[in-house]
Amino acid sequence: MSHKLLRSVRRRLPGSRWLVIAVPYLWMLLFFAIPFAIALKISFASAAIAMPPYTELVQWAGDKMQVTINTANYLFLVRDSLYVNAYLSSLEIAVVSTALCLLLGYPIAYAIARMDPATRNVALMLVILPSWTSFLIRIYAWVGILKNNGLLNNFLIGLGLIDEPLQILHTPVAVYIGIVYAYLPFMVLPLYSNLVKHDHRLLEAASDLGARPWKAFLTVTLPLSKAGIIAGSMLVLIPVVGEFVIPEMLGGADTLMIGRVLWQEFFNNRDWPVASAVAIVMLVLLIVPITIFHRYQSKEMESKLT
Amino acid sequence: MAATASGALAGAPKNDMLGAEGYLRIESVRKEFDGFVAVDDVSLSIRKGEIFALLGASGCGKSTLLRCLAGFERPTKGQIILDGQDIVGLPPYERPINMMFQSYALFPHMSVEQNVAFGLKQDGMAKADIARRVEEMLALVQMGKYAKRKPHQLSGGQQQRVALARSLAKSPKLLLLDEPMGALDKKLRSQMQLELVNIVERLGVTCVMVTHDQEEAMTMAHRIAVMDAGWIRQVGTPDEIYEQPSCRFTAEFIGSVNLIEGQIKDDEKDFVTIASPAMEHLVYVGHGVTGFEGQAVALALRPEKIQVDKDEPVQPHNKVRGTIEDIAYFGSHSVFHVRLPGGTKLLANMVNSQRWASEKFTWNDSVWLSWGDQAGVVLTS
Repeated sequence: MSHKLLRSVRRRLPGSRWLVIAVPYLWMLLFFAIPFAIALKISFASAAIAMPPYTELVQWAGDKMQVTINTANYLFLVRDSLYVNAYLSSLEIAVVSTALCLLLGYPIAYAIARMDPATRNVALMLVILPSWTSFLIRIYAWVGILKNNGLLNNFLIGLGLIDEPLQILHTPVAVYIGIVYAYLPFMVLPLYSNLVKHDHRLLEAASDLGARPWKAFLTVTLPLSKAGIIAGSMLVLIPVVGEFVIPEMLGGADTLMIGRVLWQEFFNNRDWPVASAVAIVMLVLLIVPITIFHRYQSKEMESKLT
Repeated sequence: MAATASGALAGAPKNDMLGAEGYLRIESVRKEFDGFVAVDDVSLSIRKGEIFALLGASGCGKSTLLRCLAGFERPTKGQIILDGQDIVGLPPYERPINMMFQSYALFPHMSVEQNVAFGLKQDGMAKADIARRVEEMLALVQMGKYAKRKPHQLSGGQQQRVALARSLAKSPKLLLLDEPMGALDKKLRSQMQLELVNIVERLGVTCVMVTHDQEEAMTMAHRIAVMDAGWIRQVGTPDEIYEQPSCRFTAEFIGSVNLIEGQIKDDEKDFVTIASPAMEHLVYVGHGVTGFEGQAVALALRPEKIQVDKDEPVQPHNKVRGTIEDIAYFGSHSVFHVRLPGGTKLLANMVNSQRWASEKFTWNDSVWLSWGDQAGVVLTS
């Protein structure tokens, strides 16, 4: 009896294994591949005053099928300097904030990795804890802190350090503050998980062989944390390129980011085809860093196994 | 492997090549961790070119002492003088000392070559000189072919060779070995022990090693310090430690030993006799000891010094009758567990010099154990 049961379970095993793999693929299909295909389709349509506001690619005239591929949206992106500038400016903001996150996050991750295990968990909690509140609320809080009669300015005036409030809100500085604040955990966590695995005897060996502490850091710790640096940087860089909320709430009218341009095309101009083209181009641009990230992440995973 | 092919004798440490006494002096070194005393007032003097082993069980303080020498720990008290210079205040990177770490601590992101060159680079040596020195060191450990490999592409034994080359590259005044064979399997271990001694002696570098493996210490070192609970119990050459233990701890720690408890009966200038409740006959020791009549002592008697016979030996003392309780057959020799009438158990070895020699005896046989006048050591502590 039990033999029979066992055999029937074993026979079903490949099926259940297939099911386990199928779930994430189904998820990717539903929420990534299909929306992407829809956006791709719309990006080759023309705007129309209709519902939905674009033309169909495939039309039937009697028994003839007519396919219209409109490349004008993509050509428009290249010709109008607004889009090129928005892409460049987004990339610049993303690269600079990634660098800032790295400069700030590395010492934090390093310090946490070297704490004793009990305090280490508390410190990690403190890094993660803020993300339990809504992202939107936390960015709103920064408006309250940075505005002219906000917490920061009142504090500085109270101390007598300044007479007039500093204009921080609606400047690039505010955007950088918001981005670095919001994305820092994404830098700290992968760096931490890399640094905590380091063998402290390697530093002792370096010191034993004549390397001063700073030199030992540069020649041993830093190169060995390369995978963590790349993973953290990509986790920050990729979402920041398309960031919309932070530049919208903390930036000025002149803060040009592709996420905002996309929003305006879609909601203000109701030009779905151009908005879709903007999104597709952004995705293509991000494929390079995503591939790099993926490669290093799998490397990290492998190193965890050995 | 030509060096090892020449056999055990070529590798065994030789005492006659040693240099000046007091090249490394450890003076009253004490190390405390939050009130726990890891190293307690240790003083040692080590000769130039000597291979010196700190031997003890884990937690005896041997590793802490080694880390004090390397500079990773600062002694709470005491001085460490190397070649006339007090090095206690120097950080590790300024000490003329290099260490071969337990499980090697090779830099995983660097090739074999780069690992060996690392220390030389820190000294700002010219590139051409570094390359020449690296080549020389890799040739010394027979790893020239593997210069471009990464550590994870090497076997344990090969990694050890690289680690040795790295720690010797800077020609340190003192080489430290932390459990040098700990990560190797048994067969490779005995081969590497002799090869390592060979290399170290050829370069004439002074060497302090830490090990918990007595065989390793005996094979590799000129002298051994037996450590226990932060103390040094005994310092001596391997044969001194084995044949002339100074206390019960060393006698029991090194090899196996029978301790026969008793009291001094006759205390003469050139012999003593000991009365033991476990024995019918007196124990006769053919040399004088510093003791007094009636003092409680123990006779340390190594199992291989005891003779096993079926018939009663003619000598009037140093013999006892017992029953074989167990026989452990090791191939080259057999160990008999013999129970005396009083309940005490003695171990006696018999070399199986002829095939099937141990078949003469079997379980529950009544046998006579006997030993010579100089076979045992009288322990007072």
